[in-house]
Amino acid sequence: MPPLLRENPSPVGGVFRCVCPGPVRSAIDDAEAVARARGGDLDAYAVLVARYTLRAHRAAFLLGAGEDADDVVQEAFVKAFRHLSRFRVGEPFGPWLLRIVTNETRNLNRSRRRRAALALRLGAAEPDGEASSDSPVDDVLAAERRAGLLATVNALPDNERQVLVCRYFLELSEAETAQVLAWPLGSVKSRTSRALNRLRGLMVPGEQSRISHG
Amino acid sequence: MADQPGWQGHVEAELRTVGRTLEVPPPGDLTEAVRQRLEGRAPSRRRGPALSPVRGRLAWRVALVVVVALLAVVIAVPQGRAAIAHVFRFAGVEIHQEPGPVRHPGSNASLPGQRTMSLERARHHVSFPILVPAVFGQPRDVVVSGGGRVVSLIYPRTRYGLVRLDEFAGHLDQPVFEKFVHLGGVTEVRVNGTRGLWIKGPQELIYITRDGSMAAASARLTTGNTLIWGTRQVAVRLEGSLSRTVAVAIADSAR
Repeated sequence: MPPLLRENPSPVGGVFRCVCPGPVRSAIDDAEAVARARGGDLDAYAVLVARYTLRAHRAAFLLGAGEDADDVVQEAFVKAFRHLSRFRVGEPFGPWLLRIVTNETRNLNRSRRRRAALALRLGAAEPDGEASSDSPVDDVLAAERRAGLLATVNALPDNERQVLVCRYFLELSEAETAQVLAWPLGSVKSRTSRALNRLRGLMVPGEQSRISHG
Repeated sequence: MADQPGWQGHVEAELRTVGRTLEVPPPGDLTEAVRQRLEGRAPSRRRGPALSPVRGRLAWRVALVVVVALLAVVIAVPQGRAAIAHVFRFAGVEIHQEPGPVRHPGSNASLPGQRTMSLERARHHVSFPILVPAVFGQPRDVVVSGGGRVVSLIYPRTRYGLVRLDEFAGHLDQPVFEKFVHLGGVTEVRVNGTRGLWIKGPQELIYITRDGSMAAASARLTTGNTLIWGTRQVAVRLEGSLSRTVAVAIADSAR
């Protein structure tokens, strides 16, 4: 287990000291937060909720919950708390939570009988955003290519789309993706490879030579 | 990776770039809602209207109001529930508000795997654009840490003394820093038309590694005041003995 801030356990003073034994201390890592939350400590669980809300929300949104992502994530956090006894000590909390988020997203889509695929959109470019190249024409071409890429991702079969969302939009590893989607690792690999092959055709012919020049 | 055909690496890189520019609405503040559910004080799954970006911004204000309301309740009823530490997240920084004196971690703090390099080299080591405040120009030191997760720009001798910027992809990742703020010290400001957070006074700052553990060696007390703001691609915390107006002007000049 990584070191905690044990050398500095100064209690929180003042009128706010809680009745529970031991000092209130917020400087806890995931492992300790989980251990304490298992014992019913809702303050410790609040740390995990705050820490993972953004990632969980992003995952729910991109995996098809759309505007219901907040509801899905709230539900997932409630279920995760109730299932903390199944959490294996030492395993990372993030992928474990995201698996529950994925399940909740699937439940939601089943209940409203909607196809999971809501079209994802590119955000407005920001002036400070990407490092733009020297040529405005190149920038326009790159933007068009990305829009085309996303349109193709949007049109992929659910399985392939989900694996791309996990691997490249949520930037999870293959093993984490397997855990989050509850698929065997082999399926993650084969579906990723199939989806990437479908996107291959989108790369403009001139691209190949550019890559080889580094 | 070496056995991949060139086109595949290229498609993967493009997909990651697309992922970073996707439109994802901001999440609501769920800590209180989840707590209420777990305490049985709220019914299952709220079904409100969809959270629009505008409501997302409002939700932030509400979060701050909730903090105040919560503490007010605890002050009035000391025997009430123990929920006194409030925690929320802003642009990759996890902020804990709790009563009590500032804790003093040791000095000589360092981030894991930190390497000093030129600004140009640093740009190749991180996946986000590095913002440099035009009012200061080139930093004296550029430090990349956490395997390219954070870049720090250090200006040891400005007219305001030591000024430091920590930049990271806060929109995507789990919180990168954990910070302890004392009540009343946090206000919302506008930076370049986006939201920023102004935190007065020193706080304990800890780096959180990718797997969610705290890097104990990184714990330190911040100097002066802090401004945190974020764009779609990068989050920045600016630290130094700066007034709010100066800090916002420095942030506004960051390109």
